[in-house]
Amino acid sequence: MSLPILEVENVTKRFGNFVALNQVSVAFQPGKLTAIIGPNGAGKSTFFNVVSGLFAPTEGRIRFQGRDITGLAQHEFARIGIAKSFQITNVFKQLSAHENVRVAAQMRASRFALLRPRDSMKALIEQADALLERVGLAALRNKTAADLAHGQQRALEIAMALASDPLLLLMDEPTAGMSPEETVVMMRLIVELSQERTLVLVEHKMKLVMGLCERLIVLHHGEFLAEGTPDEIRNNSDVRRVYLGEG
Amino acid sequence: MGEITPSLLMLQLMTGIGLGAVYALLALGLSLIFGMLNVVNFAHGAFFMVGAFMGVYFLALTGNFWFSLVLTPLAVGAIGLLAERFLVRPLYGRGIDYPLLLTFGLSYVMVEAIRIIFGIEGVSTSTPAELRGAVNLGFGHFPLYRLFLIGATAVVVLGLWLFIEKTRYGLIIRAGSRDPEIVRVLGIDIARVWLLVFGIGTAIAGLSGVLAAPTRAVNPEMGISVLAESFVVTVVGGMGSLPGAVVAGLLVGIVYSMTSLFMPELAELSIFVLMAVVLLIRPQGLFGKAGQMG
Amino acid sequence: MNQAMTLANSFNWIVRHRVGAVLFCLILFPLLMPYEALAINILIFGLYAVGFNLLFGYTGMLSFGHAAFLGVGSYLCGIAIVSGGWPWWAAIVAGVAAASLVGLVIGYLAIRTRGIYFSMVTLALGQIVYYVFYKAESWTGGENGLRGIRVEAINLLGWQLDFLNPITKYYLILVFVAAALWFVSRVLNSPFGAVIEAIRENEQRTAACGFDVARAKLLVFVLSAAVCGLAGALRALHLSIVPIDSLHYLQSGQAVMMCLLGGMGTFFGPFVGAALFLYLEDVSTAVTTHWMALVGVVFMVFVLFFPKGVWGSVLHWLARKAATEKP
Repeated sequence: MSLPILEVENVTKRFGNFVALNQVSVAFQPGKLTAIIGPNGAGKSTFFNVVSGLFAPTEGRIRFQGRDITGLAQHEFARIGIAKSFQITNVFKQLSAHENVRVAAQMRASRFALLRPRDSMKALIEQADALLERVGLAALRNKTAADLAHGQQRALEIAMALASDPLLLLMDEPTAGMSPEETVVMMRLIVELSQERTLVLVEHKMKLVMGLCERLIVLHHGEFLAEGTPDEIRNNSDVRRVYLGEG
Repeated sequence: MGEITPSLLMLQLMTGIGLGAVYALLALGLSLIFGMLNVVNFAHGAFFMVGAFMGVYFLALTGNFWFSLVLTPLAVGAIGLLAERFLVRPLYGRGIDYPLLLTFGLSYVMVEAIRIIFGIEGVSTSTPAELRGAVNLGFGHFPLYRLFLIGATAVVVLGLWLFIEKTRYGLIIRAGSRDPEIVRVLGIDIARVWLLVFGIGTAIAGLSGVLAAPTRAVNPEMGISVLAESFVVTVVGGMGSLPGAVVAGLLVGIVYSMTSLFMPELAELSIFVLMAVVLLIRPQGLFGKAGQMG
Repeated sequence: MNQAMTLANSFNWIVRHRVGAVLFCLILFPLLMPYEALAINILIFGLYAVGFNLLFGYTGMLSFGHAAFLGVGSYLCGIAIVSGGWPWWAAIVAGVAAASLVGLVIGYLAIRTRGIYFSMVTLALGQIVYYVFYKAESWTGGENGLRGIRVEAINLLGWQLDFLNPITKYYLILVFVAAALWFVSRVLNSPFGAVIEAIRENEQRTAACGFDVARAKLLVFVLSAAVCGLAGALRALHLSIVPIDSLHYLQSGQAVMMCLLGGMGTFFGPFVGAALFLYLEDVSTAVTTHWMALVGVVFMVFVLFFPKGVWGSVLHWLARKAATEKP
């Protein structure tokens, strides 16, 4: 087995007296489409926020390609190759779709150039347009992000996350609030992306993840419960008890 | 400079506590308004100043210091209620800076209004007759009025604590500052709560003004530097923290007073340096929540 | 419909050549003003507001301590001339450099805080500078301010220019203002300019995209301080004195007001705001002593009903007209 792309080692996260995550240890394999699942309150969001760099764990370590990245600042995560899309759409509402992606893409190109006119950075503009094309938003290039439909905003998020050419893409409930048609489009995109990068999803729509993912990790009450292929998880007695028994 | 004896130190400490009491009240009002409404009241110094003027006015009107002590916060609080209802409230949805900007503009109007009513020179004040003289504290004689000031502040702080911790309304205020949505869902008119909190916060500022009036020059500009000083206290104590406001208020008063004794040139500067140090080591303030502010 | 389209086109042309457009207005400006001293004041305070706008309008950080940079720029320029005997142009450099340094220190401390807390902290930190300069009487003249900054003749490439002539003074100062405006425009148009606007829109998102938000904020803070420092240095040369109140937070509040009245986050807005504010002050102080109340009321009215400011509202209206009348 190859080196895990992301390793979470005995991670605990406390908010005051509340223990959101308790001694969770998980390894993500490169190239595999993995999903974190669990009933409400399982700690999925906290787990997502810890591995995506929003806050540091109270205890434990996180390793990316073998390198210890515990406590690294949020902006460093994107630089080292971990990108994310948020559960509640988080784009630059007053900028156009194109400008949103261009800002995200700028990180790779040049960050603090003070005197160069933006419009002269042709490669950057082309890259942004290519990304929009990829997620199907090319026609809405100049539309203000706030005016986009919900599903389109989610797609924009993905384009922005891809702009930094990440090795690992974390997605928090990517189909949240989407219509069935939009969900199908998003699922197709996820499958496509999983061929070229490692994707980790946080989801609670069971049907989606069962058909889609190669590997599932189940959390419960902030603790690791089980992991395996969809079939293994479907037949796992602990998982069945938690999902079906306790209701 | 003369000899620095332990009794002199103790007396200076008491003076610092007296000064700190005023700061504590000011910071309490600021933190209360901020904690609940997420608004920094840039007119807070102006409310303090109006309180001082009203105190003098009511004293002249009724001849009774105690009447003025009660009437002034009510009057100032009433102005605060009007300001919140008609000037600040329309701005809540807009963006965090707008209420702040509005209160800044309001402070200009309040200062000028006082100038128009009372003149630009200010008014003279004196210690109320019942509270003149000094008390022997063992290590020296300390002005009775300042002792009263400290005592009155303690009573107000205790009263406020009881109100916030022990009453239903206080519970709503505590809940509302943490999660306004929940309070709304529970069917409570959050707008009424905001109104009340702003009124209480400004009333306390007015009270600190009437209490402080006999100890300093009362002129329309007195609130201008006081605003900066109350910001120092809230940064040191932690924005939105009521215990922080009290502790930091006393600390700042003591720092100012002790520095006046040893290095009078640097007294004003010393409290700002204290704030800068706190910003460096603990940006959220002594009692503030980490990550909220810094 | 054609009328609206050419309106939109010429409008776009002006936006793209905004520095030139603004300079065009400023070059003609003295002809419109009742007297030159007012025009010069508007020029200087317009630049002050432009510097402040960089931080507030474009990056979204409301500082109440910018008087520190205006004042330090003035004082260091003045001190260089009065105590150091420096030539006027070196004194200007000294003012700008000193203001940038103070900006670096204050920025470093203030950026540790966020949102409205930031406004409080910058006000208090600015007051430190005020008290320091107040107390350092031997250097600064303390309460009475710095006096005797005499610059009478300016030698430019062999030409002897009479600095005391208001028109000459205006156009000389305009040269510096023009350079600063060009610089600010370039910065806003650069990739860095995109980052600071992104920070204003959504700080969390900007960090998630990989930008070091704290460092970007500090850089724009220092740039803002430098521009305000230049305004301060020019003011010292203009007035020949530096009043101590230049450093007080009420002077910071003036920048805030001018920016909002004119239009935050727009290029020309700060100048419009400065012109409006100073003209209003000029006119009202002639008839009443209660100027402060008028300012307060006007400001509150704008905060409540016209938050885009005069120029911002004009731009907004033009943009809407151009959009709705496209074929």
